[in-house]
Amino acid sequence: MKVQYLAEQPIRWEDLLKAQESRAAQEGWGAVVTFLGIVRADSHGGGKVKALFYEAYAEMAEFQIGQLVTQAQIPHAAVWIRHRLGQVEVGQIGVAIVVAAAHRAEAYAACRFLIEGIKQRVPIWKQEHYEDGRAQWVGCREDDSKHAHV
Amino acid sequence: MNVTVQFFAHLSDAVRTESCRLHLAPGASGLEARELLIQRYRPLADWIDCCRLAVNQEYQPWETALKQGDELGLIPPVSGG
Repeated sequence: MKVQYLAEQPIRWEDLLKAQESRAAQEGWGAVVTFLGIVRADSHGGGKVKALFYEAYAEMAEFQIGQLVTQAQIPHAAVWIRHRLGQVEVGQIGVAIVVAAAHRAEAYAACRFLIEGIKQRVPIWKQEHYEDGRAQWVGCREDDSKHAHV
Repeated sequence: MNVTVQFFAHLSDAVRTESCRLHLAPGASGLEARELLIQRYRPLADWIDCCRLAVNQEYQPWETALKQGDELGLIPPVSGG
């Protein structure tokens, strides 16, 4: 399986933007939209978060993200997505999406579609690690189980 | 027929493994696999209602017929992104 979208190492989104800039003229891109998901300290109810730990069903996550990119259906566009695995500290990037397209409307729409799709259906899970040493998977409390994302 | 099952996140913590093998009758569906898993791993009963089934990395209904060598995934509510 060729890994495209999942990353064990910190995401260097600025390198990607530099690469896009060099292609923009020849590709006819007029808009580049970037989404960065940053780890925050507020939690889903357990305390102050110091880090998140991301786990994925890797083969399926790669496949599902690839399907989302296809479904975004942006002609003559480029999409770059990286989602972290492993431990990510507060303030660090957990997920990055960059969409380059001819016009801003389609770039914004595609970027929104992709992050919402990742949140709803890609098999990635995060575990909150709190400053008091505890850890808890998000989505596995009784109140969470009543709101399963499908 | 034999299938493998992958567990993730809090489910793998609860059943204390990341995967298992199931032996099912020919023509069995995800529903039979689900019943067998609950019998084998009691903690699953609390969470399986909010899980989705994946077969060979694609979401499928629980009624899906399985075949030899299928890889099942028990997908609890996702929280990426």
